[in-house]
Amino acid sequence: MAKSVTFKEPYPPGDFAIWLVIYIELVTFGLMFLGYAFSRHADVALFNKSQLLLNQTSGFIDTLILITGSYLIVKAVNLVKNAKGEQSVKEANQKASKWIAASVLFGCLFLVNKLLEFSDIFGQGISLDTNKFFMFYLLLTMFHFMHVTLGTIILFNIFRRTKASAYSAENTRGIETGAVYWHLVDVLWIVLFPLIYIIR
Amino acid sequence: MKRTVEIVWIVLIALTIFAYLLGKLHLASGFMVGVLLFTTFIKGQLVIDYFMGMKNVSLKYRLIPTIWLVVVISSIAVSYYL
Repeated sequence: MAKSVTFKEPYPPGDFAIWLVIYIELVTFGLMFLGYAFSRHADVALFNKSQLLLNQTSGFIDTLILITGSYLIVKAVNLVKNAKGEQSVKEANQKASKWIAASVLFGCLFLVNKLLEFSDIFGQGISLDTNKFFMFYLLLTMFHFMHVTLGTIILFNIFRRTKASAYSAENTRGIETGAVYWHLVDVLWIVLFPLIYIIR
Repeated sequence: MKRTVEIVWIVLIALTIFAYLLGKLHLASGFMVGVLLFTTFIKGQLVIDYFMGMKNVSLKYRLIPTIWLVVVISSIAVSYYL
């Protein structure tokens, strides 16, 4: 039986610089996740009691929004990756712009949902000083919030570029760079959600 | 496969619902935390492989986010079960 040979790309998709950013972010968030996990180990009762004040449904909705946003971006990237020839490039960019516009909308939905959650938390008189659990909760979720904000701005710029039919099979670096950044934000939340909202 | 991305998205949604239900039903403790962390690893790896597109990238680059995921999730498990 003949073996099928799968061609592997030598480098990850997107710009090299974004991967440096991604590695730095992974280390930074990784250390904060471990800081949370081992601080929890030192005072399980406090962390479990404080966690009851969080809105799990809000965290769940955030996860669905980010995962779906990631899916929408993949659809857009796949469209422009297969676009060859002037007419095809134009059509692919127009279709991709709709997927990207939807992902920008999902990014905005995440931000609005998170602001409502923060407003509820601050409304209960909770701040960074309240206790160690809320110090980690606010630090991690607000730091992540900043990343989603940046990711949404990047996606909006990609949307404008697709409107100008800027991407094609030969030119995918820009859209792939923005996409991998968004997927990073997604991966970070995928770990953050069970760690802070669910595990007891 | 043409529908791979859709299947991955559905699996991610299903595993997220699973995690949420564990939380809502107050089952996210003890042994189930191990199960939850394993599903978290699956979710992260699916995003890395199929959304980021690392599945078709040279192993040395593909392994970097995977190793991060393994180290972080294993450490969380160690801190929980210590």
